[in-house]
Amino acid sequence: MVYTPTESMETLLDGMPEEYKKSYKRYQRALNILTKEPEPQVGQTPKEVIWTKNKAKLYRYQPNKTKTKSIPLLMIYALINKPYILDLTPGSSLVEYLTDKGFDVYLLDWGTPGYEDRHMKFDDYVLDYIPRAIKKVLQKSGQDEISLLGYCIGGTLTSITAALNPHLPIRNLVFMTSPFDFSDAGLFTNWLDERYFNLDLMVDTLGNVPAETIDFGNKLLKPITNYLGPIVSLADRADDDEFVKNWSLLQKWVADGVPFPGEAYRQWISEFYQQNKLINDELYIRGQQVKLSNIKANVLNIAADRDHIAIPNQTEKLMNKISSKDKTFKLLSAGHVSVTVGKKAARTTYPLIEEWLSVRSH
Amino acid sequence: MTNQSIIDPFALWKTIYEQTENNFSEAIHETLGKEEYAELLGQVQNGYLQYQKLIQSTTEMYLKQLNIPTREEISSVASLVINLEEKVEILDEKIDEATSDQKVLQEINKLKTSFTRLDKKMSQILQALSDNEKSGSASSTPTTPAPENK
Repeated sequence: MVYTPTESMETLLDGMPEEYKKSYKRYQRALNILTKEPEPQVGQTPKEVIWTKNKAKLYRYQPNKTKTKSIPLLMIYALINKPYILDLTPGSSLVEYLTDKGFDVYLLDWGTPGYEDRHMKFDDYVLDYIPRAIKKVLQKSGQDEISLLGYCIGGTLTSITAALNPHLPIRNLVFMTSPFDFSDAGLFTNWLDERYFNLDLMVDTLGNVPAETIDFGNKLLKPITNYLGPIVSLADRADDDEFVKNWSLLQKWVADGVPFPGEAYRQWISEFYQQNKLINDELYIRGQQVKLSNIKANVLNIAADRDHIAIPNQTEKLMNKISSKDKTFKLLSAGHVSVTVGKKAARTTYPLIEEWLSVRSH
Repeated sequence: MTNQSIIDPFALWKTIYEQTENNFSEAIHETLGKEEYAELLGQVQNGYLQYQKLIQSTTEMYLKQLNIPTREEISSVASLVINLEEKVEILDEKIDEATSDQKVLQEINKLKTSFTRLDKKMSQILQALSDNEKSGSASSTPTTPAPENK
């Protein structure tokens, strides 16, 4: 039965009840999606490259579209993802949504680090890459001030940049599911305990930490939901084209990561997860103390209630540390990924950011 | 009735999955949160890394014997290129600064020219006024009525 050719199988099905035929077609489609179908197209909003540095690129989106909001917006995403996570597909893209609303949107693409980038540290990103990207955005837009949006680790990097460079003309800061306090990072606190997790051996051996290793750690937080869930839901709804399209995009989003540069990973695990230095003003970047209280820009801090990677408790703690007078914390009903993409994100997250930024971007 | 009599293997699997997820996710979460589990993960990690180290050193030895560059050697060439690019970036920034300084200089020069022109015009106006005054006083002299007491 297992090796029956398709034609014979269909002949066999002819004599079977309608339900069986439907189920068979659904499984067949699910199997095709998993094995044969090409990956979905992502990152389709038109863009131009305005600056490059090593593997990083700075994009300006929809340059020919009229910009009705004067303050440009620079997006900074996590080091472990690819740039399209904020521009997944038309209708499910924060970049597209904001450019359509008249924002001048820029994004710093980190690129894919090679073995030669294993010495890259947070210091390099925070002091060399982001400030220079800000300068380029200001030059290109011809404006004197800027808004920054950081997602996940990108938000943590953004907060450090803002804290270390109070001279930078940052008017608005938007953080999306970015961890700041690591005193209770859920299961990660236990797994990354320095008594068991051999961080130095890992970085020294691997150089850069592979995307699969990072993905494994994230998926292990909810193993049944993350490993079996997608297959079960696909097999259940493979006959729904709209569902299949979204499913494929989401799977690509989740599985398509980049390696974590070795030294940055060592810092991330040791100084953030294991020693929780940032929130306690104990973090030093190239010898400079990082004080989150130096942040005075307007802040919108977004957390997701089902986020297991950046737990709301980790993100909310920022609010008491910063000196901003205009600061808002929003807890959305979403997960770490669904806060950025999908129908619900387009209905809730995007308008929230757009409305908050609009009144602060003139 | 017909539907009930059909045994759909997937429906069965899905039911098992849903029950597993609902009933066991909490138990799994509890297990994952145990210190023993973290210890186990650490041991698995150590084993994996030792294996990786062995593979790497063996590969490196093999490549050296064949006189083929290793990953380390190729990446050091890439680092040289990156360093060079960094220098170009610094030069680019300096050119940017110089160009923007040049713009300021150009503006200052324009202002200087404008001021010079204004200065000239002012001189011309003053000259014209003074000439006008002179010619006015010269033409009015003979017609000036004599004081009455003369």
